[in-house]
Amino acid sequence: MGRYLARRLLQGLLTLFLVILLLHLLTTWAIQLNGNPALAFFGDRVPSPAQYAAVAERFGLGDPCYAQVGNPCLGPFVTRLGDYLTGDFGTDLRGRPVTDIVGTAAPNTLRLFAVVTITWLLIGMTLGSVAARKRGRLTDHGIRGLSIMIDALPVFVMLLVYRYVLAVPLYTWAKDTFGSNSTVALLFKPSFSSDHPMITVIVPGILLGLTGSAAFIRLVRAAQLENYNSEHVRTARSKGLTERHVVLFHIVRNSSIPVATAVGIVFTEALAGAVITEGVMNIYGMGGVLWKAVRDSDVSLVVGIVSLLAIVTIVVMILVDLLYAALDPRIRYE
Amino acid sequence: MPLLQVRDLAVEFVTADGVVRAVDGLSYAVDAGQTLAIVGESGSGKSVSSLAVMGLLQSPPARIPSGSITFAGTDLLTLSRKQHRAFCGEHIGMVFQDALAALNPVYTVGWQLTEALRARHGLTRRDARRRAMELLDLVQVPAARQRAREYPHQFSGGMRQRAMIAMALAMDPEVLIADEPTTALDVTVQAQIMKLLAEIQAERDMALILITHDLGVVASVADTVTVMYAGKAVEQGEVQRIYSRPAHPYTRALLRAIPRLDHKGRQLDVIPGRPPDPLHLPDGCAFHPRCDRAEDVCRAAPPPPLAELPGGGSAACYFAVEVMADGKPAERAES
Repeated sequence: MGRYLARRLLQGLLTLFLVILLLHLLTTWAIQLNGNPALAFFGDRVPSPAQYAAVAERFGLGDPCYAQVGNPCLGPFVTRLGDYLTGDFGTDLRGRPVTDIVGTAAPNTLRLFAVVTITWLLIGMTLGSVAARKRGRLTDHGIRGLSIMIDALPVFVMLLVYRYVLAVPLYTWAKDTFGSNSTVALLFKPSFSSDHPMITVIVPGILLGLTGSAAFIRLVRAAQLENYNSEHVRTARSKGLTERHVVLFHIVRNSSIPVATAVGIVFTEALAGAVITEGVMNIYGMGGVLWKAVRDSDVSLVVGIVSLLAIVTIVVMILVDLLYAALDPRIRYE
Repeated sequence: MPLLQVRDLAVEFVTADGVVRAVDGLSYAVDAGQTLAIVGESGSGKSVSSLAVMGLLQSPPARIPSGSITFAGTDLLTLSRKQHRAFCGEHIGMVFQDALAALNPVYTVGWQLTEALRARHGLTRRDARRRAMELLDLVQVPAARQRAREYPHQFSGGMRQRAMIAMALAMDPEVLIADEPTTALDVTVQAQIMKLLAEIQAERDMALILITHDLGVVASVADTVTVMYAGKAVEQGEVQRIYSRPAHPYTRALLRAIPRLDHKGRQLDVIPGRPPDPLHLPDGCAFHPRCDRAEDVCRAAPPPPLAELPGGGSAACYFAVEVMADGKPAERAES
């Protein structure tokens, strides 16, 4: 178990290194092909070489390799890795430390994720279980149809529809009925408010969770169906246990094993969805910041945040594997 | 009145290709302290009939168009499914064939042994643990204390089947149904499990229904035998009479098919052909295409009814009395 964990952690570190390297190469080429973001600092004015060098230096883009197309710029890469190791994640283009930005943005993303996770677990488990129970009947077909429909509607379509079609009339109505600072009004507020970080992420979180739940519904259904007709469930029924007990302790419990594996996959999908959701809904979270950083060619911010997201993903994957062993006693990591 | 009585039971499965009659007019009875063996090939309806007794058939596709299953005066088929299962949980225990598949892989053996006691009788954890150890002792699983904390995959095949039996005994049932309890096991372990079942049955004065395809296994433990073919009982009677003077050609063929030590080097007797497709049963007696005694009357409808035999028992064959008089089932007719 200890050895397994150590091996997984080492694998994780290697993955992380590769992610940072890849990010570095991609951003480097983007700079080489599109021009140094330091130029944007001067707007329409043409800077003197000394001014330009000073600004580029401050942005961490002073190395001459950034002007040579195709140069992998390994020098700055090594410097950045060294900085990361000492806990220095650099600053954004305005000089604000990346750690500071993440410190403000991460809690909002966590709030969003809490809502997302609750939504897809609740919807996925409930609808998946119902569909499995009513297999072949109208309810089952309806739920499966719904899940495919949700899949066919990407999260950004849902968000745009919500934001531009539903949110404004709902918000106006709630404001007129309950007052502009009431819970209901804040719930339907079309954009994020940092004064009410929890309540304003609920609707975007539910929408994002809904998209994740589509695949999850089908997975839960399939996993439970496999158990409904299994011999150990028949044994449980032969013991005279109530159907409720059998479903809870033998069907849901046993189908939680494949479902746990899916948690990891859905999580990474939701991470990608969070970038879009936070971008569209103006949520000041990791995804929102990343969205903006990419548009501003803010290299150190992009690399810093994506590296952080990579760490989170790797940790979640390791946790899912450990959970897998906890759920299934037949699986043991030496 | 017998403890458990099945009368004229029919079970049908509605499939896309038509309605399959898996059990057709089956009747049997067992009393406390008695062992009934139900013998037949795969698909003869022997397992399906016991699942019907337990209320474990999936419906749809299964349905029970006629018959009654009476346990000590209660007709189980008049109960709701929920009541039926709860009733059987208290009074009838069931041992399944493949204990590895029939036990839940994610719970410890001790947990599963006492699950019903905790869920239905409100046993505390401590009492449940003690009861689990008692049950494992009863089925002679060594180191019960430690074994109760292990998972099914950590048990050997024989030990797993013992745990399965212990689980069926947890509620002190009056009837135990064992569905091919030894089929998945080694021959030596098979004998141990059969001995254990017989011991437990004698000790508790329990009724035992033993479902098997192997007539050799039942000789030493059964009191009465019901032989099934294509969903019907083709012969019923005392075990000794059936072994010495079978009245149905199918029973005789089954007895000949038991491998014998004194026939070393000789080819095994087999029953030619294969069991009929339940969707397209042959006209007349369902066994006639494989029967060495078949005559024109067997091929013409209707199939022979189950008729009383002189000296007790019954068989569904037009030539039952002659087959019985042939005797010597162990000898090959032609050798």
